[in-house]
Amino acid sequence: MKPDELQPPKWPVRLLRFLLKGKYIEEIEGDMEETFYATAEEESPAAAKRMYYRELLRLLRPILLRNFKSSFHNNSIAMFKNYLAIAWRNLLKKKGYSALNIFGLALGISCCILIFMYVDYERSFDRYHEKGDRIYRVIHGSTEQTEDTYWVWNNAPIGQALKDNFPEIDKVVQFSGRADLLLTNGDITHQEEGVFFMDSTVFDVFSWKLLKGNPKTALSAPFSIVLTESTVKKYFGNEDPLGKSLKGSNSAGRAEGGEYQVTGVMEDVPPNSHFRFNALLSMSTFRKSRPEIFNEWGYADFYTYFLANDQFNLANFESKLPDFIKRVRKDPESKYKIIAEPLSKMYLGTVAQRQPGETGSIANLYIFSVIGLFVLTIAMVNFMNLSTARSMERSKEVGVRKSIGAARSHLVFQFLGESFVIVGFSMLMAVIFVALALPSMNNITGRPMELMHFVTPLNIALLIAVTILIGLIAGSYPSFVLSSFNPVSVLKRSIITNKTGVFLRKGLVVFQFSLSIALIASTIVVAMQMSHILNKQLGFDKEQMLILDYNYDEDVNRKREVLKNELEKLPEVSSVAFSRSVPGSYFPNAWTEIISPEGQMKGMAQPIFQVGMDFINHYDLKLAAGRSYSRDFPSDTIGGLVINEAAARQYGYSNPADIVGKKYSQWGREGEIIGVVKDFNYISLHNTIEPLTLPLEPFACRYVSVKVKSADMTAAIEDVRKVWSQLAPHRPFLYSFLDDDFDRQYQKDFNFRSLFSIFSSLAILIACLGLFGLATYTAELRTKEIGIRKVLGASVNSIVGLLSKEFIILIFVAIIIATPAAWYAMDRWLEGFAYRMTIQFWVFVLAGLAAVLIAALTISFQAIKAARGNPVNSLRSE
Amino acid sequence: MRKTKLGEFEELVLLTVVSLQQDAYGVEIKRTLEKRMKTKLSVGSIQSALKRMEEKGFLTSEFGEATLRRGGKRKRIYSATTYAHRVLSEMKQIRSSLWDSIGKLTLHLKFQ
Repeated sequence: MKPDELQPPKWPVRLLRFLLKGKYIEEIEGDMEETFYATAEEESPAAAKRMYYRELLRLLRPILLRNFKSSFHNNSIAMFKNYLAIAWRNLLKKKGYSALNIFGLALGISCCILIFMYVDYERSFDRYHEKGDRIYRVIHGSTEQTEDTYWVWNNAPIGQALKDNFPEIDKVVQFSGRADLLLTNGDITHQEEGVFFMDSTVFDVFSWKLLKGNPKTALSAPFSIVLTESTVKKYFGNEDPLGKSLKGSNSAGRAEGGEYQVTGVMEDVPPNSHFRFNALLSMSTFRKSRPEIFNEWGYADFYTYFLANDQFNLANFESKLPDFIKRVRKDPESKYKIIAEPLSKMYLGTVAQRQPGETGSIANLYIFSVIGLFVLTIAMVNFMNLSTARSMERSKEVGVRKSIGAARSHLVFQFLGESFVIVGFSMLMAVIFVALALPSMNNITGRPMELMHFVTPLNIALLIAVTILIGLIAGSYPSFVLSSFNPVSVLKRSIITNKTGVFLRKGLVVFQFSLSIALIASTIVVAMQMSHILNKQLGFDKEQMLILDYNYDEDVNRKREVLKNELEKLPEVSSVAFSRSVPGSYFPNAWTEIISPEGQMKGMAQPIFQVGMDFINHYDLKLAAGRSYSRDFPSDTIGGLVINEAAARQYGYSNPADIVGKKYSQWGREGEIIGVVKDFNYISLHNTIEPLTLPLEPFACRYVSVKVKSADMTAAIEDVRKVWSQLAPHRPFLYSFLDDDFDRQYQKDFNFRSLFSIFSSLAILIACLGLFGLATYTAELRTKEIGIRKVLGASVNSIVGLLSKEFIILIFVAIIIATPAAWYAMDRWLEGFAYRMTIQFWVFVLAGLAAVLIAALTISFQAIKAARGNPVNSLRSE
Repeated sequence: MRKTKLGEFEELVLLTVVSLQQDAYGVEIKRTLEKRMKTKLSVGSIQSALKRMEEKGFLTSEFGEATLRRGGKRKRIYSATTYAHRVLSEMKQIRSSLWDSIGKLTLHLKFQ
């Protein structure tokens, strides 16, 4: 065998060269190679390789190995100590700069950490389910729809059909819409808001732990209830609830009231779940009382989730769906369409409406991440600026070090080391800031984040990596520029005009202030848009409106006339109305057919607000055509229907008067349209006004709306409560204010506004810290110049102007850069609102002025101090 | 005898170096010793013995020629110092005198 074809394995040779003493390498490597080729010839190449490894191990003898301890010179350690000492002395010598640097960086880093924690928390939703990667849910739509408007909430039969037709689906779990049930144990009665009728397979699919009871059977029998731990506390205190019963009120459209047996206790649903509940009722309760619904494809009241097995492939599954739908609907023309949505997309990134719980906004997470980066960048720029500015001062040190023999790499190392020291301090401080700020952050976001949850090895490693990265970036410019000084010119005290340094510094200030101004402008736009939304005329009366919730209680609905009369007798109350929904709350959709202008019945699903007799007048809805419901027309209760303009338009009537008198049918009611109300915003202003039907169905009502005319709301509530406890003593008195309820739809937007303004203010604060440091420094540098100018007769004003001018020019450049960027970004953000303000140019003027003002204040403090100094002091010593 | 110690294996390696003369380099020493001792030896053991003896002053070395089989690396040819020769012959003398005394002893034992 030729030696050039066969070679000793590569890495052992390299290892050998690394490990052995230099003077032995050639000989021993040669010996090894010779032995290797000999073995290869005598035995086999493979044996030779094995031999090589074996021999390599046997070479590990102290006498042959390189002496690693002595390869570092003790001198370097002394140098390190010296670097640290110098770094420390520099920190102490310039306490002001150091404090600015460390504090600014710490603020920036803590913002970043907080934002990271928030983003991380939002991304942690539903991750705790062990089978999470196999959990999907069905979202429903139509092949006809133009935009992607899917619903999660829909019919029941799809669940069984999926289970029967797809072997790759292991378990299907369905649950009803949110039922607001009244639960009673003896004297304790609460209206439970988070209650679902749930299939018994729930514990097979989701990883919630059942602490007591059998997970397989807990939700099998009708009238079974599984409570979460905190619900158990609420009703049973510390008793064992298992086997005891809770009285449940009826759930309209689902099941009659009855005694629910407690068959299980589960842990509370973690707060990072896309839907949460306090209790689960067995789906069989629902099925028993309304079995027909479970075969009805057109009845929406169910969420369908499923657990897939290993054979499941999303793309493959979805390709089979169109045929599957045609088969199970027994209709080749069916426009019904479903798609599967994986668990990981349910909280962030769902396309569907009618969610069982809250959803997050991935766009907001992006926005916050960007702001976090901005803030950190600004803080790092400060650091770079202050260091470059101070580079002159340290040029002598560099000169001395270089002439003694320091290599450039040593100096780079030294300055980087100093920046690491500062960044390290900042990091420590930032962690303390985060710990202090976390409670307020949780308050704003409504998220229960805990510091300890984030102390994981990965996060700690990340923190260290970030520290190093920031240290490298922030320290890079000073270290490379300072180390490049020529010792001769530095020590000769010839003036170093570091043009790139000055240019970079100015560039960084412009950059920093562009970011700040963009943030100020965006904050103003966000605040204005929010107040635009809150103050917009919605088309109905939402002030001073008290909403009582009695959850469809039949007794109350029967007594509605008495209740109305009694309440209206109160001096504080001006009027009272009943309805199933109020603006901003939940409402169902109903299949509604109305004769189109062409004369055929045209069917569409329409949002529906079942109302009592006085709803329209009470809410001050304006009529566009026809009339409102009236006690003078008894037939209204059976057959009248009022719709809104948008609905009239959707059925093809551009003039609302034309639809009055047309026939309709909806949910078993038939009759004529009697009136059209003007459009009003019954949902949040993120959306345009959609079609709405307002059938008169007093027995389907759930809320009493009470318009209070007196200013003393507390007294009014007290009087209403008295009337309530006389007429409906069995119902708890649950009240809220319409404007609060309606504005609650904007909770996410409010959070966004708070976080946005806080982080923007911080960004501006940090930028000002940097500017302050820089201004101080420039003033110091020019002490002599100022002294001479003053001696020659310059006024304080002209000197302040001289010192400020250069910065103010930079701020103006920043305004020019920031305005279009902020304009574009905010325009995109506003696209999320159907009712958006127009961005006025003065917003940017204001933001710019604010920036100039803040900068001027920051600078002038130093400028005035410098200008007022006695020239004798600055010129005396030379 | 001097204070410097010569281990048993070292002595064998040293003797091999002496006997191989101009061919005394790592692999050759290893090969010869393997043949005589009828066992496998590692490069490491030979090398460490050589280096130790060099430090103790038994051996000197210099680079020899490079061969293709060694990938162009030079051999290091070892040769024993006069000091080593003296120690070796001292050892041999001590040993043979000891053996002689054993001879008498065995004779003595036979008679008993």
